[in-house]
Amino acid sequence: MKRLLSLLILLGIIIGLAFYLSLPTQEGLRSLGEFYLESSYFGDYSAKSPEVVTSILWDYRGVDTLFETAVFFLAIIGSLTIFRIEGKKERAEAKSSLPLPVPVVTKFIATLILAISASIALHGQLTPGGGFQGGVALAVAPLLIIAAYSKYALENNGLDKTKAIILRSIGLLGIALIALIPLLSGGHIMQNQPIFPAEALGVPLGGSLIYYNIFEFLAVGAGFTAVFLLLAIPEEEFKEKGGACE
Amino acid sequence: MSEILFYLGALMIIIGGICDLLGAIGLLRFPNFYVRLHAATVGTIGGAVVPLFGISLLSLGADFLPHKYAIAGASFVTGVIILLAAPAGATALAYAAHRAKLVKWEPKVDHLAEVRKND
Repeated sequence: MKRLLSLLILLGIIIGLAFYLSLPTQEGLRSLGEFYLESSYFGDYSAKSPEVVTSILWDYRGVDTLFETAVFFLAIIGSLTIFRIEGKKERAEAKSSLPLPVPVVTKFIATLILAISASIALHGQLTPGGGFQGGVALAVAPLLIIAAYSKYALENNGLDKTKAIILRSIGLLGIALIALIPLLSGGHIMQNQPIFPAEALGVPLGGSLIYYNIFEFLAVGAGFTAVFLLLAIPEEEFKEKGGACE
Repeated sequence: MSEILFYLGALMIIIGGICDLLGAIGLLRFPNFYVRLHAATVGTIGGAVVPLFGISLLSLGADFLPHKYAIAGASFVTGVIILLAAPAGATALAYAAHRAKLVKWEPKVDHLAEVRKND
């Protein structure tokens, strides 16, 4: 009874505050909003991208995002160093020991996740989302496959740790190159318009935003996949090879 | 026609809410892991899939809604995906718990043992 009473009082306070703290309706555009729109969609040197957040992240706050990406890569490199294992890999057979519906549904869902993550990344300049979000969604697919089959299912099909790291490095290299290209044609580093095309075949590309998104998608997805592959190493194998003791 | 779709969809959303409530109560009150897993699945299938199908019917019937076909299609596809994924996840959980012998097994009725006894 006492708990019910306190619950009711809490509910009353919350509802009262919600009525009291109703936000004032905004009329017209504030100067900050105007600046954002002018620098992301309308201006001559803007990204011409209707998705303002991606535009802010990769365009006129791009160096900040570049360093954030660098921090993420350092974290991945750190975990790769900790879980270093030398020696030849032996590959066991990849067979799911789970009941039949689980692996079948996992196959289906993993395929769907690949398509959806690519869609999140490639629409990054038009809709909410972008490279990082798409990459994180992409990394769920190998994680599901590791859970339902084993890590050998990925490795026997050619996606081992080395390849994931190579893909990740290609992504980072791509981001760096895209950032440096404007220097060649007399612009500033990470400048967006008018060096990159604003649209192709009637589809708005957002200048360099789509390239950043694609490479970030690749880098984040492959980086997480590498870490998941490392974490999925069986404990016996890790102890045999003396991974952390050296 | 569109009114029928609208009210059918609204009814399915209400059914979903009731299923969610029952699933939550079951999750709190049921005695062991397997029965609680059943309650959680009632919450996902009855409380997420049915209202998603309801939303797709409702939006097909709602003429005032912009992009109503997009909303209907998206919620239908999401419903089908959850309909596939939720039983698979529940199966995997139950199987893992059974294999690891983490849950004490106290059957009230064991048909398998009865069959074995009769053989």
